Amino acid sequence: MVDEIKPDQTLDARGLSCPMPILKTKKAIEKMKSGEILEILGTDPGTKNDLPSFAKKAGHEFLGLKEDQGFTRFYIKVK
Amino acid sequence: MSEGELKGILKRGYGVIFYENWPIWLSGIIIGILSVLCFAWGRPWGVAGGLKNWGDWIFYGLGIYSKSPEPFFQSTNSLLTLGLLWGAFGASLMSKEFAIRFAPKWELLKGCVGGIIMGVGSAMAGGCNVGGFFSATSALSLSGLLMMIGLFVGAYLGLRYLYWELEHISTGQGGAASTSGGQAVQPYLGALVLLGSIVFAYLYAQEALTRQGVLLLFGVAFGITIQRARFCFVRGFRDIFMTAEAEIPKGITFAILISILGFAILKWAGLRGEEVYVPQAFWFGALVGGIIFGFGMVIAGGCGSGSVWRAGEGQVKLMLAVLFFALSTSLTENWINNSERLLKLMGTSVFLPNYLGYFWTVVVLCLFFLLYLIVAVWNEKTEKFLVEP
Repeated sequence: MVDEIKPDQTLDARGLSCPMPILKTKKAIEKMKSGEILEILGTDPGTKNDLPSFAKKAGHEFLGLKEDQGFTRFYIKVK
Repeated sequence: MSEGELKGILKRGYGVIFYENWPIWLSGIIIGILSVLCFAWGRPWGVAGGLKNWGDWIFYGLGIYSKSPEPFFQSTNSLLTLGLLWGAFGASLMSKEFAIRFAPKWELLKGCVGGIIMGVGSAMAGGCNVGGFFSATSALSLSGLLMMIGLFVGAYLGLRYLYWELEHISTGQGGAASTSGGQAVQPYLGALVLLGSIVFAYLYAQEALTRQGVLLLFGVAFGITIQRARFCFVRGFRDIFMTAEAEIPKGITFAILISILGFAILKWAGLRGEEVYVPQAFWFGALVGGIIFGFGMVIAGGCGSGSVWRAGEGQVKLMLAVLFFALSTSLTENWINNSERLLKLMGTSVFLPNYLGYFWTVVVLCLFFLLYLIVAVWNEKTEKFLVEP
């Protein structure tokens, strides 16, 4: 299911650690329209907890994550 | 039970411990218990003291200090911090999370600057978020609470800075490489690393240094617990303003309530000295040091304990933060210690039971932290303290 997601925008947060991935995601989402999908690339293990709980708290839909070569892809649908 | 079933159970058990993160509240309870046992065994838990010892050695090695510091394989400060690093390194291998994670140049610079700022703050407050706040408060010192207030102010200012940076400084996108490898063998290496710490403690016991060896193991236990839960003290202060999540405040409250009760019993019963871990930092050192430290920890993305365990799982930015923390806290603390005027400015030690008695001290401290928890949970629902960019 995650494989079929077509993101509208991609945020490269690889190499960033807490709290920068969350802050950059927040900023990117502000400029997006409702229903659009943001893809975030990350390498910090903490992001796997932080992004889903941030999305839930802010009311966005967390669509899932996918492991890639040495990093993870996360998908969030803007509310 | 067949062999297959047993294997299945063991595999699931390993998964729960090393592939899933431990619940924050549970690790808060474990940290509280470890803190009391550590004090009962030898001394309270601290992190910055170890970093200072390492910084002292670097300056001594460069010929800048003339007096030789305490040997780092004997200093209990150094062993506790070494254990923290050791445990976090082992636990991250066990959970296949170890990787050398490079960060963009700007972030590396923030690690260095954040480390320098934290070093100054912890030298002023008589410890970092652990020794100056967590253990000092557990030791029934008033400067622990004052540093906590400073940490809130500093974290708030740090967050404001990060928001400003997002708008005004274009650091480009991430894209920094992360070198991980050997995922399949990482758990075996991790087991070796953790077993190694037990061998180390055994060798210490052979040399009649059992106290030191076991303190190293306490450090390792803190490291494993904190890495597996990603227990980040910074979030106890910053998240109130950033995401309004109350997860870590819950963990901190559980940990410190247990720790306060344990320390109070040990001190009240006369088993441990009343003056232990009551920093001479009331009020200037604790409050201003707390503000400075709080700002630095948000810039670096890790506090005293947080920088060390993240360095242990391979984050280059936090390795730099640890190095510069060590150097700056060594310089600042020695500077303060050599000046009567600065020492006087930092303040005196205030042991709360001298004013309130043990019973009311414990009651007041418990109410204070319950209030912290209630405000954090209320803020999670209402987002009253949330700061928008």
